[in-house]
Amino acid sequence: MKSLDGLRFRKRKTPIHRLDPRVKFLLICAIFALSIIFVDLMSITIIFLALVPLVLLAQVQGEWLRSLRASALLAAFIFVLNLIFVSDLYYALAMAFRFLVIVSSFSIFFLTTSPDDLGLALEQSHFPYEFSFAFTTAIRFVPELAKEAQIIVDAQRSRGLELEGGNILKRIRNYIPILIPLIVSAIRRSMELAEAMESRCFGAVKMRTSLHALKIRSMDYLVILMIVLVLAGSIYIRFYIHLL
Amino acid sequence: MPIIDLKNVTYRYFDVEKPALKDLDLEIDEGDFVIITGPSGCGKTTICRCFNGLIPHFYNGELSGKIVVAGLDVKETQTSVLSQHVGFVFQNPENQLFALSVEKDVAFSLENIGLAREEIVERVEWALEMTGIIELREKAPYELSGGQQQRVAIASVLAMKPEVVVLDEPTSFLDPLSAKRIFEVISSLNKDLGITVVLVEHRLDLASEYANEAVVMDEGKVSFVGTPRDVFNDRDVWALGVGIPKVTRLGHYLKERGIDLGGVALTPSEAADLIRGYMNR
Ligand SMILES: Nc1ncnc2c1ncn2[C@@H]1O[C@H](COP(=O)(O)OP(=O)(O)O)[C@@H](O)[C@H]1O
Ligand SMILES: [Mg+2]
Repeated sequence: MKSLDGLRFRKRKTPIHRLDPRVKFLLICAIFALSIIFVDLMSITIIFLALVPLVLLAQVQGEWLRSLRASALLAAFIFVLNLIFVSDLYYALAMAFRFLVIVSSFSIFFLTTSPDDLGLALEQSHFPYEFSFAFTTAIRFVPELAKEAQIIVDAQRSRGLELEGGNILKRIRNYIPILIPLIVSAIRRSMELAEAMESRCFGAVKMRTSLHALKIRSMDYLVILMIVLVLAGSIYIRFYIHLL
Repeated sequence: MPIIDLKNVTYRYFDVEKPALKDLDLEIDEGDFVIITGPSGCGKTTICRCFNGLIPHFYNGELSGKIVVAGLDVKETQTSVLSQHVGFVFQNPENQLFALSVEKDVAFSLENIGLAREEIVERVEWALEMTGIIELREKAPYELSGGQQQRVAIASVLAMKPEVVVLDEPTSFLDPLSAKRIFEVISSLNKDLGITVVLVEHRLDLASEYANEAVVMDEGKVSFVGTPRDVFNDRDVWALGVGIPKVTRLGHYLKERGIDLGGVALTPSEAADLIRGYMNR
């Protein structure tokens, strides 16, 4: 749970939070694309550094650092692997940095986009409503399931269940008395949810309406323009004048 | 004409031998506040499911008899249509909230029936106000207490402007004070908006003062119907093991010992008045 904290949304009022989720997703994709287009250490370092003001603007530096720390091990792994197989120090460093850029951009996206807005974005991009409903409901029940798992762990422990100790196989087996009640209660919960959905007219009409609507504002257009310019410039530099 | 009318209703859940409801008759008039009580397993939840069509449309078992609610034949009407007339509040507050904010939850059923946005905004505002949770509008469900969650659930059925609200043991997960607040909200829906309320409840100590009719069920049948005062004062009802209000029992024990208060109390304050009257006699 702890490592996922680097991705959990927090309500804040910053320009980044207020960006339309679709535009923000475009931005993340653009960063993603840039880090794929460029392979040299300097460009990737520049891209990485360019993320810093974004993070500061969104006021998520703490969570961002945590997500970096969580992915440090994997980054090191990528570095060593590339060093061994390509035996080019700069290239290996660039690859590790590229990974961190990708992690950061996703982290910024999920930290600054409320799941509700994300659901709305899916809905307004003409994904079927069931899709965005499943998504937001899953997010909504994560804390409940975590709470429930804790209750079951406590209950089984107080009846003498040992979770620690033993080899890996034994440890996995230890978790069976936790998993089974958890699954049973999840099934029961889903039955109750289905009943409640039915009673709240779920799926009554094809053209569902929505309390909130996403609207693209001038700031969003500005960001789109910037994305297009930067992307176009980068592609020009990389592929036509072979500067890097 | 009664707003809820059940005649000779028998229901058997799928693959279950024993019927959950047996040849049951029940009439509930418009504007009533009815408490349904009875030992657990007697069919209270099952009867509630008949009111908005979960039985027979969601649960496929064997249903016979006639069920008419708000002028609609339940067997012939979809749950999504019935739900616009009958709001259903479930026992477990957390499993009837879907969205990540209170206002989205209150809007959920309105969105599902495709109301215009302006209308949704207006109704959400009104329902939040009626249930006293305006200041919670942007909270996520897991940030709320059980009592607050249950009020959100009430607001979300209220937003549909139903004629009937059915609540199946809405306070069994709550502490007594939150329970009392819930009963006050429910009572205001009945008094101020004229909504017919059907409340399944064990906490008769707290709830009976708001009701004007009590229904006691046993083994899939309606055993007693009447005013809460008459029904809860009936020793035959006590024998079923329902939670008779303590002051009502007190009145009985006093009577057995030769002290006749000259009335039946449902709440402590009524009991206090009766006892004061007796002492001044
Ligand atoms: N979904 C179901 N499937 C099968 N049997 C059920 C189901 N729900 C309830 N029952 C049975 O129907 C009877 C009445 O249950 P219920 O209406 O839940 O009682 P109450 O709400 O008064 O406690 C019980 O015997 C119960 O076991
Ligand atoms: Mg029940």
